[in-house]
Amino acid sequence: MSAKRTRRVRDVLGRRLSRRTVLRGTLASGALASIALPPLEAMFGDSVASASELGPIFGLYFWANGVPWHAGHGSEQAGHPDLWTPATTGVDFAPSELLMELARHRVSVVTGTEPKTEIPTAPPGQGDGHMRGFMVSMTGDRIRPEGFDHPSHTLTALRPTLDHLVAHHPDFYGERPARFRSLTLGISEARFHDYGHWNAISYRGPNSFNLPILRPSRLHDQLFDVPDDVIEQGRRGAILDAVLEDARRLEARVGARDRRRIQDHLEHVHEIQRRLDSSGVFLGEPPPRPADAGDLIERSEQMAELLVLALQTGMTRVFSYMFTSPATTHVFSNLGVPDGMHKTVHDGHWERTRAITAYQMDAFARLLDRMAAATDPTGTSLLDRALVYGISEYGEGYKHSTREMPIVLAGGANGRLQRATHVRDPSGNLCRVQLTMLQALGLPFTEFGFHGAQTTDPYAELFA
Amino acid sequence: MSLRLLASILALALACTGNIDEPDPMETDPDPEVELPAFVPVAPNLPRLTAAQYRNTLLEVFGDPLPAFELEADTNPHLFFSIGAAQTTVSERGVDQYEIAATNIARALFADPARRDALLGCPLTADGCARSYVERLGRRLFRRPLDDDEVERWLEVATIGDDPMRGLEYVTSGMLQAPSFLYRAELGHETPEGTRALDGYEVAARLSFLFLDRGPDDALLDAAAAGALDDEGGIDEAARQLMDDPRARQTVRAFFEQYLDLVRLDRLTRDPARYPGWSESLRFAMRTEVELLVDDLVFERDADVRELFTTRRTFVNTTLAEFYGLDAPGAGPITFVPVEFPLDGPRAGLLTFAGPLAMNAHPTETSPTLRGKYVRERVLCESVPAPPDDVDLNIPEAPVGEPRTLRERLEQHRADERCAACHAFIDPPGMLFQHFDSVGAYRETENGLPIDATGDLDGTFLADARDLAEALRTDERVPRCIVRQLFRHATGRLEEASEARPLRALEDEFAASGYRFRELMLELARSEVFRVSGALDEEVEE
Repeated sequence: MSAKRTRRVRDVLGRRLSRRTVLRGTLASGALASIALPPLEAMFGDSVASASELGPIFGLYFWANGVPWHAGHGSEQAGHPDLWTPATTGVDFAPSELLMELARHRVSVVTGTEPKTEIPTAPPGQGDGHMRGFMVSMTGDRIRPEGFDHPSHTLTALRPTLDHLVAHHPDFYGERPARFRSLTLGISEARFHDYGHWNAISYRGPNSFNLPILRPSRLHDQLFDVPDDVIEQGRRGAILDAVLEDARRLEARVGARDRRRIQDHLEHVHEIQRRLDSSGVFLGEPPPRPADAGDLIERSEQMAELLVLALQTGMTRVFSYMFTSPATTHVFSNLGVPDGMHKTVHDGHWERTRAITAYQMDAFARLLDRMAAATDPTGTSLLDRALVYGISEYGEGYKHSTREMPIVLAGGANGRLQRATHVRDPSGNLCRVQLTMLQALGLPFTEFGFHGAQTTDPYAELFA
Repeated sequence: MSLRLLASILALALACTGNIDEPDPMETDPDPEVELPAFVPVAPNLPRLTAAQYRNTLLEVFGDPLPAFELEADTNPHLFFSIGAAQTTVSERGVDQYEIAATNIARALFADPARRDALLGCPLTADGCARSYVERLGRRLFRRPLDDDEVERWLEVATIGDDPMRGLEYVTSGMLQAPSFLYRAELGHETPEGTRALDGYEVAARLSFLFLDRGPDDALLDAAAAGALDDEGGIDEAARQLMDDPRARQTVRAFFEQYLDLVRLDRLTRDPARYPGWSESLRFAMRTEVELLVDDLVFERDADVRELFTTRRTFVNTTLAEFYGLDAPGAGPITFVPVEFPLDGPRAGLLTFAGPLAMNAHPTETSPTLRGKYVRERVLCESVPAPPDDVDLNIPEAPVGEPRTLRERLEQHRADERCAACHAFIDPPGMLFQHFDSVGAYRETENGLPIDATGDLDGTFLADARDLAEALRTDERVPRCIVRQLFRHATGRLEEASEARPLRALEDEFAASGYRFRELMLELARSEVFRVSGALDEEVEE
């Protein structure tokens, strides 16, 4: 057994070595300069191949606490103008006040939709907009009733969130997944609670989160802190064989629930092994490691710069971007708002909510600016390739209404998504938007939505 | 239907009267005459090491210094990191961070010849040196001896590359990210009764994590090997030794920080223009004050831990002394000294300390609801039910030019009968703290109006927060809550109804000990519930 294992390790190492020698040779001979790709795309050795496939990009931009409330959310919220819904529908709609910044990127919007999932009566409180609206926006399904506890706001998902679903769908990456299937990012560190979706919007499944990278410096580490010694990298991958073996031994001893946890752990180890095995040496000069800014927009600019670099070099094609977390307690003192945002909306400060929402849309537009500015030699931008789903956890935060969910679809999805289009669907099923997106990404979904929210009917007018 | 689901339905039916948490027998009536259901052990869980446990264990095994590393942040559903560690699944990035940490730590250890040689304890050329290293390190990290297959497997890792010393570095790196290290497999073995009993090594691990928040050292593992932990007497002896270890103080402090949710203080922001007393150093002092009080109660004086909620003795530095308006001879900017709140002053007990008052308030105004919720959930272990789905959750603003106190505004709100039942449960104890503003400073007026800080607890009128402290002094829910919180922390899960019997026994022994927390921890270590589990769960969810 010992001899066999050793031989296998050495075989693996031998293969890795030869390939990497080639890569290094490319650099040494100065051939890099002659590669007809933006220099960044050549940075990561053989990941150039997957970048050059130019598959679609899926992004998710999340902002907290909906939009300023208006009569469309309910009679109690009446008395304020609707600053979100454009006055006209169809292509080249007239943007509303809050969509003005995003309009320069010809985003599409769907207005009027809401969650359609059934609400179990027990445990109580599952209708709360923060939680139900969030879960339907992100997964197309309701909260998992088991373990739900409203008083402590303990909740989890029944299924993966859209970012995870797409990144792990066999048809999205096919045979050649990107170095990172997805990047899970966040900007504001303020949170309503320390656990669950109050600081993590991306789920694999029940009680299984993808915690966000909340600091640009950490994203920099994740992307560029790659060992420069390929032999060592191969050995690290080989060590993981023993780790996997150990995981299997443990897996065989535990109960059903924990077996799934260990199996997930195993999968993650495989993914890291794949990364160690397949990612080349970083051939270019990485950007400087940023000093994390305190101001949210500044921090978002730092994060977006690195994200765009990762998308450009084919390091990933999926991301989630939590600008603020659901029910955020972030204090927007820069906007003259003295209290945390959740309390601000609860207390009915409409003008303050207007200012904060505009600020959150500004941050969204700046992210899109960077994606639009990153073009390849054919003139296609990252935004042309992308579909960025902009979403919040409910329609508005004053009464937690999930009517009139604010939904933005930015980018062209590689030419499959109709841009600058307003679809109005009063009391429509939010999951129709999700089905539309999944189909625009080329994934074989004919139906989406769960527990009463099922639909087979995408918004055809959004397909280009 | 799961027990918790059933419990929740019952909780709904019970609405807002009396105890509304899961109505298991230990909760509804502590009357000793009531027959409790037979103890049925619960399936073992599989906690992942918390970041603190990972770090503590490595410091224990390898000593200082360790290179800097980051692990995935722990989460604390139901207050405790141990519950998050048992309930949640690690993310891909978390596993990535394990790999990077393990690589860097192993590299640093082996880059230092003196440290490396000490770790090995034999010249690498000596016969069996590599094997002995694998066996020793494996036992320490996996908290049990390795079986033969495992030893062979890790010896193969030692052959990666062509340098035998680097090979052992790879072994070290691999073990530091092996699930046998990262997950606490205290699974026990099946007994004829169908339950699962922990073996000596598993008991050693559980004790060590409970008292020292790290894996067991060689002495404790040796004790396990010798069978010394196979009976209650041996466990008790080991537990007492661990409790006397100076590092147990940090573990106990960490428990109270989670139980009292002090982590929220770290993120507290206040506008100094609005609150002149506010500063970062005040925030630091708020947390330290509670930590020192816990240390004093549990270790320095080994006193009745219920004093937490009644004490007039506390610890202040100059910042906090000034904030409280107390004389504190000997205090400095980082030197805390014990002081007494005056008998005729407004403060008594932790609930009137600056930290808990501030963290249960909003940046611009206090929140009797949050403060009352803290009393209900943290101190009494009661659960506040969810509001009806269609209810208006907002507190009306005062009309412009007509200032109102928060009490007046909340009373308007409570006129709605759908809200009234629950807010009558939550708000009145919270109202008792209205003399303390959003940073916990004492005040006579609110918005220029005199403050009425009267309230009640379950219908008993209380004049102010000092009255509440007096009421809590003898409230039997307080020690029961402490028992339950420690149990959750120690087991990484919520208690089940079938565990009422051993929990009741713990409560009784806790009372008999004069409510000394040290004794409670020792009782828990001796308790059957601590070392017997039920059958593994095999049902498939959903």
